[in-house]
Amino acid sequence: MNETALLSPYTAKALEYALAISYLLLFIPFWRFVQGEAVLEHVLGFGWFQVPNGVHLHAGHAWARPEGGAVEVGLDDFAHKLVGPLDAVRLPEIGAPVRQGQKAFTIVAGGQPLDVLSPVDGHVVEVNEAVRAHPADALRDPYGAGWLMKVEPRWLTGNLKNLFSGEAARRFLDAAAGKLAQRLTPQLGVVLQDGGTPVHGIARALDEDHWDELARQFLEGK
Amino acid sequence: MSEQALKPAFWGGPWMKEKVFLGMSFRSYLRSLVTPANAIAAAILLAGIPTIAYRFWRGLGAATNLSQTNPWGIWVAFDIVCGVALAAGGYTVACAVYIFGQKAYRPILRPAILTGFLGYALVLLGLVVDLGQPWRLPYQFFLTPGTTAVMYEVGWCVFLYLMVLGLEFAPAALEWLGLVKLRRLLGSLTIGIIVLGVTLSTLHQSSLGAFFLMTPGKLHPLWYSPFLPIFFFVSSITAGIGMVVVESALSHRAFHDRLDPAAPVDLDRITLGLAKGGAIVLFAYFFIRLQGLVASGRFDLLATGWGAWYLFEMLGFILLPSLMFAFAARRKSARLARIAGVLTVLGVILNRFNVSLIAFNWNVPDRYVPSIGEVITSLTIVTIGVLIFRWIVNRMPVVNEHPDWRGAH
Amino acid sequence: MNLNRRSLFKLAAAAGTAGIVGAAAKSRASVVPAARGARGVLVDTTRCVGCRACEAACAEANALAGPEKPGDDTVFASKRATSPTAFTVVQKGSSKSPAGEDRYAKTQCMHCVQPACASGCVVRALEKTASGPVVYHKDRCLGCRYCMIACPFGVPKYEFSSATPLVKKCTFCVERQAKGLKPACTEVCPSGALQFGLRADLLEEAKARIYTNPEKYVHRIYGEDEAGGTSWIYISDVPFESLRLPSGIEKKSYPELADGALSAVPFVITLWPPLLMGMYTFSKRRDEVAAKEGDGRQEERHV
Repeated sequence: MNETALLSPYTAKALEYALAISYLLLFIPFWRFVQGEAVLEHVLGFGWFQVPNGVHLHAGHAWARPEGGAVEVGLDDFAHKLVGPLDAVRLPEIGAPVRQGQKAFTIVAGGQPLDVLSPVDGHVVEVNEAVRAHPADALRDPYGAGWLMKVEPRWLTGNLKNLFSGEAARRFLDAAAGKLAQRLTPQLGVVLQDGGTPVHGIARALDEDHWDELARQFLEGK
Repeated sequence: MSEQALKPAFWGGPWMKEKVFLGMSFRSYLRSLVTPANAIAAAILLAGIPTIAYRFWRGLGAATNLSQTNPWGIWVAFDIVCGVALAAGGYTVACAVYIFGQKAYRPILRPAILTGFLGYALVLLGLVVDLGQPWRLPYQFFLTPGTTAVMYEVGWCVFLYLMVLGLEFAPAALEWLGLVKLRRLLGSLTIGIIVLGVTLSTLHQSSLGAFFLMTPGKLHPLWYSPFLPIFFFVSSITAGIGMVVVESALSHRAFHDRLDPAAPVDLDRITLGLAKGGAIVLFAYFFIRLQGLVASGRFDLLATGWGAWYLFEMLGFILLPSLMFAFAARRKSARLARIAGVLTVLGVILNRFNVSLIAFNWNVPDRYVPSIGEVITSLTIVTIGVLIFRWIVNRMPVVNEHPDWRGAH
Repeated sequence: MNLNRRSLFKLAAAAGTAGIVGAAAKSRASVVPAARGARGVLVDTTRCVGCRACEAACAEANALAGPEKPGDDTVFASKRATSPTAFTVVQKGSSKSPAGEDRYAKTQCMHCVQPACASGCVVRALEKTASGPVVYHKDRCLGCRYCMIACPFGVPKYEFSSATPLVKKCTFCVERQAKGLKPACTEVCPSGALQFGLRADLLEEAKARIYTNPEKYVHRIYGEDEAGGTSWIYISDVPFESLRLPSGIEKKSYPELADGALSAVPFVITLWPPLLMGMYTFSKRRDEVAAKEGDGRQEERHV
């Protein structure tokens, strides 16, 4: 039926076989890509989230580090990886009061504003202008240069009793990671290449449509 | 499962009120029908019914742009050829649920079967409108069967399959009517009916492609292939998946108040599962189409205008939705999956149009363009289908389960 | 899986369907082709003068309105086509003969040896007869127009303007042939361009004319192999394309192209049910085992 075939029968047949074999070679990775792998468990496993000494974590994933008379406050490693690079941080005014467990500041990621609860009672004495100017940098050093504000505490000893530190902090983060993993196992997990974070945060990679609700559940300390 | 099912006592009064008028009085029911959507539907029917009547009164020549060189138009290309492909969700989901045991798709099974049933019924309606002497349709079965014809096999298959779909959907209707014994009898025949349905579907979906095997001189070489039946069969599966993704999303929204709050359906999860299937099948379909291209050896044609159109169909409507489905499954984005579903459906429509209308008679100077009447008629047929779909879903246990028959089907 | 009402129903359905549809395995026309008594017409275009007496005779024999613009050669200005009221038309060729004469070719239904139209007709309205003509039974036709789609020569024409439309084409004067007469067109041709006879004999005659005048004729008989062979065959001293005879026609019969697909039908009917039932049984057993092993597991299978 093919009067105008441009290929000799040998070339044509060879091409058919070549195409079929290419298909098989492509099919296997494609299948795996579509199905995904439940690698999240190992990636979110023990020790993945580091908590430096002297840092106290709040259930809403803010951290407090007493330094001199003031307390340095920021957002922990887990929350940063969850929401991804920040678009903006809306920090309170100098002198504004903060209460433990109440909204302290707002981070904006992926266009969504997310409230973060304060780890301590007191009033704000300083905010990190550098991070305010370049919010995406906070992710790189969440417990160091990524500090967000400094608070003069009103009742530090009492506040610290409600915060996790040391071993307890690590267990808290493991539990949070486990909660994430539990949310994923019924569906299949996401492969995180080289143990790195998805570019736009884990929450976005897990649930494109409702990632902000997912993130809020963690940030509200539930 | 209660033995005391509601039996239709008589055809008036309370039964009609509950079953037909959704529990409202006749007057309230009529008032409830005044909605913008119904206004649009009414407008379409108002234009369409007279148009169809005109076709039967004055003949095909007056009502269509069909000609001696273009004997088939959009009634064949869309209402029949596309219609059959887009109704394939019935057998694909039924196969997934019953043959492959994927019970997670149960919630979308009945809507898919209903779409399939109505789809095939509309194909029949389109056929009756398109045939020159439709009252002679039974001749092929009972008078002078043309057993050598592809159309003979299609005719029997579609006829039998319409009945199979009716049987597959009947349990929902029987539950609605409260006919317990009949419902139980049908339930016991399910797997046999499903197997028959999948077999018949395989046959006629592929045979629609076989129609064009005899037309190598008329169908453009980039679309003509001895493997057309296989292409049509595999793409019918993709059409089924795409249609179910789109239709389930629309139904979920439109019939939200019919959903049973005690039995919530995770439609996003179902959609993502369908996305995985869609990604894989579209991927395979893309490659077998490539094989068709290699078999024809006509790579030279890719550089032509028709080649660009071919690549547009292949890359934009087969490869692209495949990758979209894959990413959607991966990133758990039901929304992306739904977009991919729309693209897939459009791709099947484009392919069927190409094979039967656009790339068919590609080298003929006198090209066909549908008349207004033909477009209105096709639109009317689809509208009738949507209205019947809505009528049934609003009354029968399609998107929800009948309280007497929970978990029974 | 135990034999029960379910499987019996399935077996019966499969057997029934196979029986009905299995006969569609071969898609060739209903009558054995190239029958020994098959008639045909040899059209020698070197003899045709374009008088169109054949058109007039055809119109009279079929009770049609007369030919378009009789005796007026302006009809030849553009490519002509048959119609529901003109079963045959003479085309004027675009090339002149080597001697500078105009060339004409009569076109009509080719009455193929293995017609696509008859093979594809769902109600056998078009049928190939043993004596050659492809006949049309107007009382069977339901107007699907698939014959028009399938015919590679674009022969069948449809009465779109009628309320009970029919397919119209050259009948090869079956009634006249039944009475032992020649087709009307061949009867009146004054120049002897149309010769009616047994197809086998006509092929020999055509070959003889070509062999004895090799520098005159194109060395091919149009219709010998076209579409697997046609009853109307042509010889010419100008290229056949110039005479508006369709080129690009397959050298094998068109019904053969659909053979593969149709032969697969009984196999699908036979193999699909056990395959599907096997998968059903497998997945059912897997679910039963899973349910037994893990009581706390969800009943739903994860996708």
